[in-house]
Amino acid sequence: MKGIRVLIVDDSAVMRKIVERCLRQAGIDVKEVIEAANGVEGLAAVQQGPMDLILSDINMPAMDGLEFLQGLRGLDNAKNTPVVMITTEGSESRVVEALSAGARGYIRKPFTPDQVKERVSPLLDGAR
Amino acid sequence: MNRSLAERSASRARPDASWQVMMQAAIREVFQLMVGTDIQPADPPPESPSGGVSAMVGMAGALCGVLRLRCSEQTAVSIATKMLGGHEPGALSDTCDAIGEISNMVAGNFKAKIAGLCDACMLSVPTVVVGVDYDVYSLASPERVEVSMTYEGQPLWVGLEISS
Repeated sequence: MKGIRVLIVDDSAVMRKIVERCLRQAGIDVKEVIEAANGVEGLAAVQQGPMDLILSDINMPAMDGLEFLQGLRGLDNAKNTPVVMITTEGSESRVVEALSAGARGYIRKPFTPDQVKERVSPLLDGAR
Repeated sequence: MNRSLAERSASRARPDASWQVMMQAAIREVFQLMVGTDIQPADPPPESPSGGVSAMVGMAGALCGVLRLRCSEQTAVSIATKMLGGHEPGALSDTCDAIGEISNMVAGNFKAKIAGLCDACMLSVPTVVVGVDYDVYSLASPERVEVSMTYEGQPLWVGLEISS
């Protein structure tokens, strides 16, 4: 998949930059990155235009990643957009909750570019 | 069926000698993967924690306490620069953001290594304190797991104060 538009939702600006760098190092052809600091900003960004991929933290102030996932369900723009959760918790129950709410995968922090590629690439192959 | 956090945390985790080793492993993994630096346990360990940047993450559930990472501002800037791919952070808030994330990942990685703790303990959003001259008082009499590491020749401390 070429020239994708990615939304990265994380309350840490440093982590958003790391995720973007990992995507590029993993060889994913990123055309545009939109950043959001929480779920509220993330939903607003999706309403502005569809994304090819969404990567979201779970623990965030204002609106966490699980509430963000629930919010995405109501947006036509996001119906076919793969969402991958990024979590520090490593808690199985939180991951199960996220997958049940529609996430297509998860990445546990700390992570490598290879791990990002492993989780993200299959979701982009044949998506268009 | 998922059990609630209250049910899972009913049995409190108690620290033992392995926790210090687990903490060192958790710290080293986070630094290797996210900072690209191999850090080592300090030998001999410095006398007491010091440094102008302290990041704290609260833990609640089967383990209640606070994980604190402390280092000098110079070390914190160096860590943030590496996390940003070699770009020096433009503001102190970026440095604090980076150190907060590191402490959060250390806490998450540590609890993932302790049997029964991963699913039974939640983490708070990190808080970062900038400044040297402060003391921390706990109303409980906490048990402590303390680790001293060396990051590029500079000291870095991680302490876990367990209140229950």
